[in-house]
Amino acid sequence: MLALLFYIGDTMYTIKCDLVREIAPLAKLKEAPHTPNYFAGFFNYRGTIIPVIDLCRLIQDEPCRQRLSTRIILVDYRPKGDSGYLLGLIAERVSETIKKKPEDFNLPRVKSDTAPYLGGIIMEGGKMIHHIDIEKLPNCISLLPGMDGGEQDDAQ
Amino acid sequence: MALDKKQPMEHCWKRIGIWGREEPRCPELKKVIHCSNCPVFNYAGRDLFERPLPEGYREEWSDLLATVKSEDLPGTISVVIFRIEEEWLALRTQIFAEIIDPARLNRHIIPHRKSSVLMGVINVHGDIQLCVSLKVLLGIEANVSKKEDRREYKRMIVIGGEGERWVFPVNEIYGIVRVHPSIFQNVPVTVFKAQSTYTKEIFQYKDKHVAFLDDELLRHSLTRSVQ
Repeated sequence: MLALLFYIGDTMYTIKCDLVREIAPLAKLKEAPHTPNYFAGFFNYRGTIIPVIDLCRLIQDEPCRQRLSTRIILVDYRPKGDSGYLLGLIAERVSETIKKKPEDFNLPRVKSDTAPYLGGIIMEGGKMIHHIDIEKLPNCISLLPGMDGGEQDDAQ
Repeated sequence: MALDKKQPMEHCWKRIGIWGREEPRCPELKKVIHCSNCPVFNYAGRDLFERPLPEGYREEWSDLLATVKSEDLPGTISVVIFRIEEEWLALRTQIFAEIIDPARLNRHIIPHRKSSVLMGVINVHGDIQLCVSLKVLLGIEANVSKKEDRREYKRMIVIGGEGERWVFPVNEIYGIVRVHPSIFQNVPVTVFKAQSTYTKEIFQYKDKHVAFLDDELLRHSLTRSVQ
């Protein structure tokens, strides 16, 4: 199983590649007023409007540096029983992948109420890498329709 | 393997690696054989991306990524469109080996051969290939009332795979286009021309009526005509 490596500040993070649709260069985004600062804006991806989250802002409260290696990771967010949507994540140094066995993703969980998408650690070359659980991410971001948040909003 | 970001950079591959001559050699070379397999070198390459964005980079990419990707319908085939006299013809791209500027070629006419299709032999990259006239084979008439404004882009087309190669001159090459069989029209049965036997389909491309040739039949006839 392939995992994507990237950095947030000086810390290495990883996500599973099976949900990644494309890695796009840092294009210009349409900012939205009155949104939390980790919401980077809307991205016109081949005619579809995609919300983009700045992971550096979300996790470390520092905006991502404007580098060539700072890229937008487009992930398919598919909650159960829903068609899902594309979500963009900005991260730094998105230029490497590693191969991991599926059992490596059986992660030791540390429960965190504020950031339940974090907490997993996988080992690579004697180093520990934070693992971000994409499926849990939208639930923690009030802007995005998640498994328990957005569905009800639509119905009202 | 991911290296630590804080590792200092040095251009070791230019000193003790593959691109350097300094002694002693890098001890890692025994293991990785070439610097391109070495994580230090990989890391240095990735580090090139750690540069600020050039001006207009974000604007350019947002324009590129905003355009909707056009997807080919399944079954779309790739053809090369070319012209012999006034006729636009097409052949499957797969059978093309090369397109050459005829100025670089010398044709040698074989004596005592009466076949009008066989024009002679030609030296293509040191290999002797048969040069044929598709114009004669297809029965295309020479253009008498030549349009003055039309420029000539004469090219030599080399088709065929291993063992069997054919070289023929054309007046112009339009290029490679992808067409879907749905735009193909049947060849009208009333057309009486030798060309029509080789024409599988006819399609309209921009302002041109293009005859899509049956390459199997064409190669078969070429073989027969030079025997």
